[in-house]
Amino acid sequence: MKWCAKCLYPESSAVKLSFDEKGVCSGCSVNEQKAEIDWDKRAEMLKEIVETYRSKDGSNYDCIIPVSGGKDSHYQTYYMTKKLGLKPLLVTYHGNNYLEVGEENLKNMRNVFDVDHMIFSPSVEVLKKLNRICFKLMGDMNWHAHAGIFSTPVQVAVKFNIPLIIWGEHGRLDLGGQYSLNDLVEMTARDILEHCKRGYDWDSMTDEGLKKLGRPELSEGLTARDLFCYKYPDMRDIARVGVRGLYLGNYISWDANKQTKFVIDNYNFKISEQSFDRTYRKMSNLDDMHENGIHDYLKYIKFGYGRATDHASKDIRLGIMTREEGIEMVKKYDHVKPRDLYRWLEYVGMKEEEFDRVCDTFRDPKVWRKNDKGEWEKDNMWDDKK
Amino acid sequence: MFNFRGKAYLTLMTFCIKIIFRKQINYHVFFMIAIINYKMGNLQSVGNLLEYLGEEYVITDKKEEIAGADKIILPGVGAFTEAMKNLRELDLLDILKEEVLEKKKPFLGICLGMQILAEKGYEGGECDGLGFLKGEVRHFDLKDKKLPIPHVGWNTVKPKEGSILYGNDVRERVFYFVHSYHLICKDEEDVSGYADYGGNFVASVEKGNIFATQFHPEKSQDDGIEVFKNFLAYKSA
Amino acid sequence: MLKKRLIACLLLKDGQLVESIGFSRFLVVGNAIMAVKHFNAWGVDEIIFLDINREKNYDFERNDVYYDNTLKEFAEVIRYVSKSSFVPITAGGGIRSLDDIRKYLSAGADKVSINSAAIENLQIITEGAKRFGKQCLVVSVDAKKMPDGTHHVMKNFGKEDTGMNVVEWAKKAEEAGAGEIFLTSVDMDGSLQGYDIPLIKSVVEAVNIPVIASGGVGDWNHLVEGIELGGVAAVSVGNKFHFTEHSTMHAKKYMKEHGIDTR
Repeated sequence: MKWCAKCLYPESSAVKLSFDEKGVCSGCSVNEQKAEIDWDKRAEMLKEIVETYRSKDGSNYDCIIPVSGGKDSHYQTYYMTKKLGLKPLLVTYHGNNYLEVGEENLKNMRNVFDVDHMIFSPSVEVLKKLNRICFKLMGDMNWHAHAGIFSTPVQVAVKFNIPLIIWGEHGRLDLGGQYSLNDLVEMTARDILEHCKRGYDWDSMTDEGLKKLGRPELSEGLTARDLFCYKYPDMRDIARVGVRGLYLGNYISWDANKQTKFVIDNYNFKISEQSFDRTYRKMSNLDDMHENGIHDYLKYIKFGYGRATDHASKDIRLGIMTREEGIEMVKKYDHVKPRDLYRWLEYVGMKEEEFDRVCDTFRDPKVWRKNDKGEWEKDNMWDDKK
Repeated sequence: MFNFRGKAYLTLMTFCIKIIFRKQINYHVFFMIAIINYKMGNLQSVGNLLEYLGEEYVITDKKEEIAGADKIILPGVGAFTEAMKNLRELDLLDILKEEVLEKKKPFLGICLGMQILAEKGYEGGECDGLGFLKGEVRHFDLKDKKLPIPHVGWNTVKPKEGSILYGNDVRERVFYFVHSYHLICKDEEDVSGYADYGGNFVASVEKGNIFATQFHPEKSQDDGIEVFKNFLAYKSA
Repeated sequence: MLKKRLIACLLLKDGQLVESIGFSRFLVVGNAIMAVKHFNAWGVDEIIFLDINREKNYDFERNDVYYDNTLKEFAEVIRYVSKSSFVPITAGGGIRSLDDIRKYLSAGADKVSINSAAIENLQIITEGAKRFGKQCLVVSVDAKKMPDGTHHVMKNFGKEDTGMNVVEWAKKAEEAGAGEIFLTSVDMDGSLQGYDIPLIKSVVEAVNIPVIASGGVGDWNHLVEGIELGGVAAVSVGNKFHFTEHSTMHAKKYMKEHGIDTR
């Protein structure tokens, strides 16, 4: 197993990396671009684009901001309302996994910003079914969240005729350098289907869909009308409305730590007082207890690394953590089986033995092997450290 | 009951086969399209489109399978002489004459598969074609027009009235072409569509059960899919 | 009349689609089938599909995705993606013999692209043209600008200078039986600054077979320049098509609005 010479990402990263001759990964090299970009020019570019979408007669919202209520959501809304003077419509997909503090932050948004906020809360029964199906089908109980977050706001854009959507940073660009910061990449149906939804679309979740996939035993009786939130609009509607999704991370120099401090100081954003089981950060993913929890645990099972690697790599790149400190974080947190597992097991009605058994079917044989005692083991970056 | 192609008859047949031979077969086996494999060109592309349209097909050079097929498709990319040589070596000339000219099976030739329908071709010397249509195949003569050869890319076709491939609709369509030679028909009524590359040339022919296109309908997206559907819907008189 | 073509150029490196910057830096964009399906839906005219690195496979098989992520050989990938493409696919990368050409054509490619093998032995083009027809053969030429202003042909992923002049090589390839020339500027690749117009023009004027321009598109206006100033029959775009929604449709719209006859 090979690791990036600079950050902590392994070769087996979920976001495919490329490495240069020095062994530095594409995620690091793309982040290094931040220092070379003329951010004032980028801010001007954004201003110009946004002007063309501002509602001329004030009869409609100027844009949509998909929000979870988190630190990024607060910063994006601050930027669009205060710096660019827009009237956005906030759209949230509520996956029913909010931490209490996350729920408070979500409600906070329309208190501190002069915005209307639409919260889409799918049926809990449907959510439980999707949790079960997707866990067994692709080892990701949070597929509904990835699919919903990236489909619901686009549906709203089409239905309300609001073409401009402002996202935060492009996650995979930031983690692994899927694109360069010079590409000015925008939201595409293809990227969302391939990477956020892993190629599975809403129609894979119905009984018929599961039968086609050869997994009829996973059927839970879902039909098309249970899955509205997960449908990306037809390309003709996208073209008709002229829907366009921009990533704010292409136009401002994104720094999660600075931005969090800013929204805490100015906009009543609250971080978790409790630590998470699988990471040292307290400000990330307050909207979904499983994102840092069992969803991330499954990432460890599949690819051999977890949230601590993500957060530490980000902080190493931002210059606020050394690689050695990062390795300590990975040692401490990556392998932990988190407590939110028990909430989830009760939520969907599954036993831990079954959970473990399904998990094991997703272990990547290139990462994991069984030792003589029959325990799972893998290479670690600290193995060669003498 | 005595219509050998009727659905009722075939259902009865497949039921009998199931009982007598204890073998399950789908009656679609009787509605097979044969794509002739004479080692020229990308046969799988045609197969992919038939699969997309839900049609059963077989890629074959076997006489029995060609004889047993409901429709015949002859694709082709390459040289006229090589095509005829291969057909001769595979001993397919007679079966094609029989199935297409005598039994009048619906036949679709694509690109080189259209060109070899001619009496003669002049690629690398004079060579006899299948002779299903009157005419000859010549190289584009465009030097004074400074147009590159081969003719590669998307070009507009003007269909004639009454054509089956274009659904009797003279609306212009765009198809993908890739060739350096073109068919010159002696009988104007054989031509069902023209395209323009330094002058008009034959884009497609239709003569009874014989259909052929210079362009590649299997690589021409929606317009191409429509041509295929129209061919597949055609029933010999 | 024959329309100008808009071509999507997909680069496959160790099983994944990548963005290429100057032939030396690569960013992993995703899986080939998603690109092929979407570009087909967005009306691209052709797809050029090149396997650019066959040394090491770090494509980890994943059983948690809906598209096939386990294909190990390029021919397998061609077979998989060509089922979903109803526009022509030109496949290239690692073609060393007539058998390789046959392999790619039977897997589902409509044309093949040959680069280094032709430089090493032009016979492969002559024989290939006889066996499969020159319409199937695209000779791919990577060109780098020299200090004296001329362009040399590069091989080995743009790293080795063959010393040959691009125009002379293009003429030789045409004579040997090439059906088209796929001309890439190593300098402009991934630059987003536009095609190398003088390079393109020099080759277009020297040959009588179609030339496809490649390398450097950052703006749809570069496509118009390529056709009007460079004189090419087709324009190819690599990286830029991956960045925006309905990219190929917007490119075509722009071209049409600026007087280019395209589908």
